[in-house]
Amino acid sequence: MRARLPDTTGTVVRNGVSLGYEVYGDGPQTVLLLPTWTIIHSRFWKMQVPYLSRRYRVITYDGPGNGRSDRVTNPDRYSVDEYVDDAVAVLDKCAVDRAVVVGLSMGGQYGSRLAWRHPSRVAGLVLVGAALPLAPNSERSSIAEQFFKPYTEPCEGWEKYNLAYWHDHYEDFTKFFFSQVFSEPHSTKPLEDAVAWASETSPDILEAEAARPVVAGEGSRASVATPDEAVAAWSLVLSELTCPVLVVHGTHDRIQPYGVGVEAARLAGATLVSLKGSGHMPNVRDPIRFNLVLRRFLDGLAP
Amino acid sequence: MRASIPHEAGTVDRDGADIYYEVHGSGQTTLFLVPPAPITHSKIFKAQVPYLARHFRVVAMDARGNGRSGQPTEKEKHTRAENVADMLAVMDVTETTQAVLVGHCHANWWCVEFAARHRDRVTGLVAIEPGVPYIGPVQQHWKDTAPNWEAELDDPQGWALNNRHVYLTEHRRWIEWFFGQQLIEAHSTKQFEDAVEWALESTGAVLVAGEEGIEVEAPSKEDFEKVVAAIDYPVAVIHGELDICQCVERGRQFAERVGGELHILEGAGHLALARDPVKVNQIIKEFVDRLSGARMNSHTWTRGMNRRKKVLYLSSPIGLGHVRRDLAIAQELKRLQPEIEIDWLTQHPVTPVLEAEGERVHPASEWLASESGHFSDESHGHDLHCFQALRSMDEILVANFMVFQEVVEEGLYDLVIGDEAWDVDHFWHENPELKRGEHAWMTDFVGFLPMPDGGDHEAYLTADYNAEMIEHIERFPRIRDKAIFVGNNDDVIPEVFGDGLPKIRDWTEAHFEFSGYVTGFTPPTSEESASLRDELGFAEDEKVCIVTVGGSGIGQSLLEKAIAAFPIAKRTIPELRMIAVAGPRIDPASLTSHPGLEVHGYVDRLYRHLSVCDLAVVQGGLTTTMELAAAKRPFLYFPLSRHFEQNYHVRHRLDQYGAGRYMEYASTDPDALAAAMVAELARRIDYRDVETDGALRAAKLISELI
Repeated sequence: MRARLPDTTGTVVRNGVSLGYEVYGDGPQTVLLLPTWTIIHSRFWKMQVPYLSRRYRVITYDGPGNGRSDRVTNPDRYSVDEYVDDAVAVLDKCAVDRAVVVGLSMGGQYGSRLAWRHPSRVAGLVLVGAALPLAPNSERSSIAEQFFKPYTEPCEGWEKYNLAYWHDHYEDFTKFFFSQVFSEPHSTKPLEDAVAWASETSPDILEAEAARPVVAGEGSRASVATPDEAVAAWSLVLSELTCPVLVVHGTHDRIQPYGVGVEAARLAGATLVSLKGSGHMPNVRDPIRFNLVLRRFLDGLAP
Repeated sequence: MRASIPHEAGTVDRDGADIYYEVHGSGQTTLFLVPPAPITHSKIFKAQVPYLARHFRVVAMDARGNGRSGQPTEKEKHTRAENVADMLAVMDVTETTQAVLVGHCHANWWCVEFAARHRDRVTGLVAIEPGVPYIGPVQQHWKDTAPNWEAELDDPQGWALNNRHVYLTEHRRWIEWFFGQQLIEAHSTKQFEDAVEWALESTGAVLVAGEEGIEVEAPSKEDFEKVVAAIDYPVAVIHGELDICQCVERGRQFAERVGGELHILEGAGHLALARDPVKVNQIIKEFVDRLSGARMNSHTWTRGMNRRKKVLYLSSPIGLGHVRRDLAIAQELKRLQPEIEIDWLTQHPVTPVLEAEGERVHPASEWLASESGHFSDESHGHDLHCFQALRSMDEILVANFMVFQEVVEEGLYDLVIGDEAWDVDHFWHENPELKRGEHAWMTDFVGFLPMPDGGDHEAYLTADYNAEMIEHIERFPRIRDKAIFVGNNDDVIPEVFGDGLPKIRDWTEAHFEFSGYVTGFTPPTSEESASLRDELGFAEDEKVCIVTVGGSGIGQSLLEKAIAAFPIAKRTIPELRMIAVAGPRIDPASLTSHPGLEVHGYVDRLYRHLSVCDLAVVQGGLTTTMELAAAKRPFLYFPLSRHFEQNYHVRHRLDQYGAGRYMEYASTDPDALAAAMVAELARRIDYRDVETDGALRAAKLISELI
C-alpha cells in the first residue's frame, strides 16, 4: 500500500506526448519533484511525498519513456529543453505560478535549465546528486567511447554501460547500475525497487534517450567526458541563477562524484549540504535526513 | 561576573534624563532589548544577551526610572512619548538604523508606538508577555485594585498592595508581593532575588510616576485599533501560560490581531525569559533567523553507520581540580575502546593542561564565559561562599549551556561526559527534549549544605536546590544515563538534603554508582620517592614544606599567613625549607620574602612535588588534599570559610582516610600555624590507602554507554 495517495491524478499532453502527473496536499507553497533519467519513474520520490505533502503542495510527474507517460522513441523528445517545457506544462496544467523545483541526477540538468530559462516560475532550486559535467569521474571516464561499440564477454563493471549490452542483458545492466547508485551497504530494497521501475521501460526507450540531440550546454548521456564547451555552458547557467539554491550531494556518490556538488554550489552561490557516506540517491537511502534538510530549505523560502 | 561584557556602553542625555545603553556582539541584524521600567532594567535580559550576542548585534537599554538611567519622579516624565523618544535616542546614538525590537510586558506598548512613529527603524518585534491596551482581558486582581489606587487603605494585604501609598511607603513590600506572585514556577529563589534587587534600584516614587505616566494621553480604543491594524512587520509573541501580570489571552489575541507567531510556554509564568531562558532564547533566535532571511548554512551530515564513536568531555574549570582525574579517566576509556574520539569542551585553566597532553579541545571552548574567573571574583581573602557563587553564576551557566547545546547538536556525539558540568545536567532536565547522546554525570559530592552563618534562609535555599535536583532526576531518569560518584559509599556525607528531604547517603546509593577516588596519578614507591626528591633537589636532611593555594587566584591570604609562620617554625626545626607556590594568578613578587623561603609561580606537575614533601599547607580543595592523602604526606588544610564543599564534604572524606589535619583559617595566627606545622611534621602517618583503580572503574562504567 502506498503511504499517501495522490489527491489529483492527471495527464498533460505536450508536443505530442502524454505525461502522467500527480498532485498531493494543498499547502500554499508548491514543490515540483522533477523526473530523472527515464530508467526510473516518479516513484523514486516515494520517501518524500508523504512528508512534504503534509505541509506543501507536491507535484510529481513521469518524464517521457516511463511510468504513466508515453514510451517515446523519438530522440528529439528527450532533449533537456523538452524536459524544461514539460515541467512548465505541468505547472501550467496545475495552475501553479511558482514552485520550488527539486531535481536529482539528470533532474539537476532539467531543474537548472528550468530555473535559468523561467526564473519567474522557480522560487528555489534543489540539486541532488546533480548530473553536471563539472568534475571528472574517474570510474566512468571510458563510457562515452565505448557506449556505441560492440561489447566483449565477459562484460564487467562499467563495461556494461553499453548500448548493445543493454539490449542483450537489460536486467543485468540495471542491477549493476543501481548497485552503483546505492553504494551504501544493506541497500537491497532500494535496489529491488529501482530494478522493478527500470523494468517498466525498455532498452529501446533508453537508446532513444541516449541519442537525444546535444545542444550547447546540455551535455548528453553518451558524452560524459567534460568538453570545455559543456563545462562553460553549465557554469554560465548555474552562475546566472537568481533563486536560492540548495545542493545536496553524497560524498560516496559513484554516479556523479561529490566534486560536482561542490562545484555546482560554488557556481550557484548555493548552500551545500554534504552527506558523508551517502551515495547517489540519498533521498532513498537516507530519507529522514534528506527530508529534514529539504524541509529546512523550504521553510526558509516560505512566503 | 557577567557572562557578556558590552563592548560599548554609555548614556544619552534625553531632555535632562540620562538613558543608559549597552551594545554586545556584532552582525548585520540588531536586536534592541527594551525592558519594562521602572520595575526592572536591562539585567532582566541577562540570560538572553550572551547567547543572542554570539549571533547578532544586541543593544540593550535601561528605560527611564531604573538601572543606570535617570529616575525622574514626575509622571509627565514617564509618558509613552518619553519612552519612545528614549528608544529613538538609543538607536541613534548606537547608530542602529534598523532593529528587531524585543520587549517585555508593557514595554511592548512602547515598542508598538515606536514602530508606529518610526516604521523604517523596525524590522520585527519579539513581544514577550506583551501588555498593550484594549487587547485581551485584564486580570481580576488588576481590575479589583485599580479603583483603590489613590485610596489610603487600612492594613492592605495581597493584591491590595497595588496602591499608590503602598508604593510610596512600603515599596519593598509591594515588590516582594508582586514578584512572589509572578514566579509561580517552583525553585525560583534566584530569579526572585534578582527581580526584587533590580526593582529596588528604583524607588516607590518613581514607580508611581511610571504607573501614572504610561496612562497619560492614553489613546482611544479606536485610535489604538488603527495602530495595531497598521502593524505590517513580523511579530513573534512568547507568553507564559500562567502569567499573572499579563494574562496569556492578551498575548494570544495580540498575535492573532497582527498575524504573528504565537509561542505559549505551558507551566511558565511572567518571567519565562528568566525561568525558561533556554527555550526563550531559541524561539528568539529562530524568529530572527527567519525574518532576516538567514538561509540554511552549508554543512555536512554523516550517515549514522559511517560515524566514529565520539565523546564530548566537559571538565569543570573551577580551580584546576578535575583535569588530572578527567585525563586519567579519558586515557582508561581510550584503552578500553581505542576507536573512540574525545573532544573537550572546557576553558582556562583546564585548556592548556589538555593541550599539553595532546588532547583535542573543541574550538567552541573559546566562546565559554569564564567560570573560574567568576569564582575568583566571588572570593575575598580566605572566603568563598561557594553555594552563592554557584547561584550567582546563573547567567554564565545559561550562556555556556547555549554554547554546549550548539556543539552537541552539530557534533553528533555518542556520549557526553560531564564532570560536574552543572549547566548541562540542569538545563537538560529543564529542557529534556534537547538531550543528545548518552550522558554520564560525575561528581565528587552530592548535596548543597548551608553554612551556619547563613541561618535559616540559607538552609531553605540549599534545601530548595537539593529538592529541585531530586525532582529533576525522579521526573526524568533518562537524562542521566549513568551517574558516577567519584569516591566510595562512606565518602558520602551522613546528612540530609534538607527538611523533609531524604538522607543524602541513602539517596546517593540509590541513584549513583561508585568509582572510588580518582587521583590521576600513582603515588611513588619509597625507592621512587628517594630519586624524585633527588631530582627535585630536596636534600635528605631538610624538611620541605610546600604551601600551595591551587590555580584559582584565591588564597593569597593563606600564603601570607604560612609565610609569616615560617620563621617561627624554623626556630624549632632549623632544617625546615618552605616552597610557596603562588599559582598562575598571584604575582610571586607581591609576597613577603624570608631567608630560606622560595616562591614560585606555576609549578608543572605539582603533584610530584607534593608526593615527596615532608609537610604541606593547603586549602581544603579535594584534589590537592587527596593527592597528599594518597602519597601519605603530613598536611594541614584550611577550608575556605563558607565553602560548604571544603568544610563538610572534603573534610568528611579525608576523615575516612584519617588524612591531614583540619585547620580553621580565622582562628589560626602565625604562631598557632607554626606550632601545628611542627606537630604535624612529627606525626606518624597511618592513613588508609587511597584506591588507585578509580580511573579504570569510572571508565568501565562510562564505557557501558558507548
